[in-house]
Parts: sequence; C-alpha cells; structure tokens
Amino acid sequence: MNHEIQDGIRIRARELLSLGEVGCVIGHERGPRGRVRPVFVHDAGDAGRLVWDQTCHHNLVVYLRDRAAPSRRGDAPLRAGIVARPCDVRALNVLIHEGQVARDQVFVIGVACPGMLAEEAEGAGGSLAEHCRRCKERVPLFYDALVGEPPPVDAVVDAWEDLAELEGSTPGERLAFWIREFDRCIRCYACRQACPGCYCFECLAEQVDPQWVSIAHRVPQKAFFHVMRAYHLAGRCAECHACDLACPMHIPLSLLNRKIAKEVKALFGYTAGADPTIPPPLATFRKDEELPL
Amino acid sequence: MKVATRDALARWLDSVMVQRSVIAPRRVEGELLYRPVRSSDDIVFDFERTALSPKTYLLPDTQVVLEVEKRDRAVTLIEPELGREQVIFGIRPCDARALRVLDALLLGRTPADAYYAERREATTLVGLACPQLWDDCFCSSLGSGPDDGSAVDLMICEAESGYLLSANTEKGKVLLEQLEAEETEQACPASETAGARVAVRPPEEWRAVFDDGYWLRLAERCLSCHACTYVCPTCRCFDVRDDTIASGPGLARFRRLRAWDSCMAPAYRRIAGGHNPRPDKAQRLRNRYYCKFCYSPLDFDVVACVGCGRCIAACPVGIDITEMLGEVAALAEERS
Repeated sequence: MNHEIQDGIRIRARELLSLGEVGCVIGHERGPRGRVRPVFVHDAGDAGRLVWDQTCHHNLVVYLRDRAAPSRRGDAPLRAGIVARPCDVRALNVLIHEGQVARDQVFVIGVACPGMLAEEAEGAGGSLAEHCRRCKERVPLFYDALVGEPPPVDAVVDAWEDLAELEGSTPGERLAFWIREFDRCIRCYACRQACPGCYCFECLAEQVDPQWVSIAHRVPQKAFFHVMRAYHLAGRCAECHACDLACPMHIPLSLLNRKIAKEVKALFGYTAGADPTIPPPLATFRKDEELPL
Repeated sequence: MKVATRDALARWLDSVMVQRSVIAPRRVEGELLYRPVRSSDDIVFDFERTALSPKTYLLPDTQVVLEVEKRDRAVTLIEPELGREQVIFGIRPCDARALRVLDALLLGRTPADAYYAERREATTLVGLACPQLWDDCFCSSLGSGPDDGSAVDLMICEAESGYLLSANTEKGKVLLEQLEAEETEQACPASETAGARVAVRPPEEWRAVFDDGYWLRLAERCLSCHACTYVCPTCRCFDVRDDTIASGPGLARFRRLRAWDSCMAPAYRRIAGGHNPRPDKAQRLRNRYYCKFCYSPLDFDVVACVGCGRCIAACPVGIDITEMLGEVAALAEERS
C-alpha cells in the first residue's frame, strides 16, 4: 500500500516537473541516517528521491507560505506541487481561506492516508499514532491527483478521550501539569515554525519593538507563548500534530489545541478546514449571530 | 586512580551536596536533563545523550545582571548575588570540550565575559566517559573521543571492577579527596570509537564555497526555528533587555536580563532603521555553520563544534550537520 503511494507520488512528480506544471514538488526523502525528512524536488530526474511511508509525518503545507503566496516584488509565484494527507489539506484549506496561499498556485498530490505510525513504534508492524487512530479521513478534502487506494475506515470514535484526564482535574492540577510541561520548553519555537497556521511575519512572543513578552526563558513567558499560540489557532488547527512532533523536548502541545478544537466544535459545529466553502468561524463576523455562551 | 562502587559514588555525591550545588543528569517528565539534584537517588548514572548540554549552568538561559530601584529621585543599582559553588556531575567529554570552546570565545579576549568567568570559576566538572559513540554523535571527528577526559577536573569511567576516578586539576583533587575509595593500578577501558567520521575543512576552503548554491538548497527545508542553536553546547549568543517589575506607588523597579538568543531568528541581525543583512533563512543557516567552522577558527583559533550530535537529533526536518560537512568537503574538492 505504501509502495503504491510512493510510486504514485514519483510518477506524478516526474510528470509535473517535466511538463513544467510546477517549479518544484515538496515531498519526503530518506535522509543519510534513514529517517524521512522534507525534500524539494526541482528536476524530473530527481523524482526518484521521493519516498512515502507511515513515518512521513511532516505537514509540508508549512512550506507553501513562502512559495505559493503572491510575491512582494509582484512577480508571479512559482507553482508548487505538494504531497498532502487529509489533515495537511485541511491546514491548506485554512490558509487558502485566509488568503495566505492561492489555490491555483498549488498542485495537491493527495495521499489516501492509512495513518502515521506512533513514534515509538516506527518500523515494521508498528501501531498507529494516537491522533491517527481516531481520524476518519482517508481521502483529502480536495486534491489535483490522488495516490493510493483509500484504506477502510476503522477509526475509533473521537470521544475526546485524550482530554478526559485534564478535564477531570481541578484548575490547580491542570496548572501544575502545564507548569511541569512548560518548565522544560526551551523557547525554540519549533512548534510554531512547524505549524502551517502560524505565519505571522513577526510573532508577538518575539517582537521587540514594542516588546510584549520578556526575553526570559522562564515558565511565565513560555506559558504565555503556548497559551497565546493555542488561542490563535482556535478553529484553525487541523490537528496534524506537527507541533508535538517538532518539539525537541516532547511537550504534548496539541492537548491545548485539541481542547480548543473541542470548544469550537461544540460552539460552532466546525472542524478546522473541513469544508471548502465555510471559512473559519473566528475569521467570520455575522451581525445576527448569537452564541450559546 | 581510585576505584569506587556505585554506592560509594552516591554517598560521596550526597556529601558534596552539603557544601555545593550538584548538577547531574536526571529524568524530568521523561526527558533526561542536567538539573540540580538534592539526593544521589535522583541521579541517572547510565545514560546515552541528554537532550540538552549543561551549558545553562555556565551561560544561563536567563540571567539577571542588574536591578534598578527608583524611589522618588533616588536611584539604586542592585547587583545580583553570586551563585554557589557548583559541581556538574556526569558531564560528557563533548560537553566539557564545548566549555573549552566557550572559554576561548568568551574569555579569550579583553574584556572577558565577567558573568561566564564567575560561573566557570565556581564550577568543578566531573566527567563521565561514554562507552561508545551514540546515534548521531561524531566527537571522534573533531579531535576528541567518547573517553576524552582532557576538559574536565575529574574523570570517571566505568570498568568491570567499578568506577575508576582520576583528578586532572586541583579542583578535581580537592573533590576526589572526599571520596572514600581504594587506589588502583587499573586503567580505563578504551571506549568504542566506531561511528561516523567526517572531515572538517580549513577556513580558507569555507570561504571559497560561500556563494555556492548549495546553501540555498540546504536551507529549503529549514523551518528557521531555534532548536539547533539552543541544544548546541557551543552556541552562546544572547540578548540583553530591561523588564519592568511590578512595584508600588513612588517606586519604580527594572531588571536587566540577558537571555539566550538565536541567530536563526529573522530579527536577530536586524539593525536600527530596519535593515537586515541576513533576511533569508539560507543566509542565517549558512552563517551558523560559518560561525562554527570558519569564523571561530579564524578569530579565536577554535572550531566551535564538538560533535555532540544534538542538532541532528533535535532538528524537526532532518538537517544533518555531518552531511553538510561532507558536502562542503566535496564542494571544496571540486573547486581545488
């Protein structure tokens, strides 16, 4: 199954590049240590570098903000091809709604996604990552080409079980939990940089003129940054877990995003990027709207 | 050389803790980090690589350098109290060598960095040899090795008979005297040095490839996060800013902080007026490598990389410094 996907990606990439349909194809390759990593293929002859398996967890949509947005100099942006799973495409959909990426500048090589393997279970016969176990999407919302056969949907019902423990604890316990977690944060911003939804030209947490947040690497600054980021992603987080996977200190950041996603779902019946026509609720203003707050 | 059991080592560390802070590897929410320990029970003796080096205990991620109190018209400057004497137990040879690099960069010129100098003076390094190179490690390519005890005050290796300890400096001797252990004629077993070998090219060859298109290709996948710089034991850049502290009527208080900064951030190099000489991530990534392998050797006579491999492990998108070194070597060959 993974081989079919890989072959499909290579064939499509070769075709797009040799026809000049795109300037590059963003996919995955195997690095010198055997781990997969993002790759930019510019020549049809290099399409063979592209690989795909269930460890290709990077959300490559993050790279489109540099490539498929209108250029500041006014020249036409290079059209890019991108390998994208269903969650990646939802992140892309959010960016398109927000005017960050032009749909016609992207050729989406959609992957019929069997889910990613849990990090500790990578290798043969590993089990699916927790967030992939509850995912019901096998085919991306939209694509220009689809690779792979959609696997059967046997997702567990999303009962928000991952949140149960924190929701069941007292505010004091929750605070203690997050202080413990943020204590080891190194303010490296890998979570933010790996996130397609975080595209501010200058992050408020790093702005120096005016300076909103102290440069101290201490829990209050770290907590402020993470909580702020979570709120800025309300109704926009595609739950791809790129933040968790990018964190060198293994902080379970997506718990914050999941909690807010649950609230947004309850209030607006909305899942980030799940519909090509409905814009994100927090980017929408309706005069007559009343919320059950 | 002395030989001691794990229990004797633990008792010794517990006695050292009475007088000084002891920093040692411990598990923090599943992550292995150097942290202050209050009991030897918290110390992890058998470990591979810690997520971070103990750099923060000499060049703190956050340091108060000055407090200012203004009451009406009277201004008082308050210097922070000096920290306690500290022992870093279980420092790996690479991280100890990284402190030698920091010495060259921060103390090698006048004026020396007074804050770093104070911490360095107050610190005794107790090294623990690695039995082998771990995944991603390449210390043996940088003139060192997993059992290199040259940069610590007291070196420990594990042998079949127990832990073997030898002092290299006065500081190390003072500490070792407190340990109840027998003298031995044994020598440390040589560590396994098989692992990645890479060649580090001389600065003039780096200069020749500065404008190569390789740097753009390399940086395509870079996310421009700060992970590589903050996990690096030799990256030492910092920012200095003043924070306002909440205070009462008639009283104003400020705190001057210095905190780690990263050359990977777009704003790092921005200057007054808004100009930025390194606006693109490729320029920033290239600069980081040139700082380590070209500028530091030229300006301070030291290669600012010790081969700990942490940047390889921490990079969310698989940028590999050893692969880069290989590419630079190949490019330099092509040009010569």
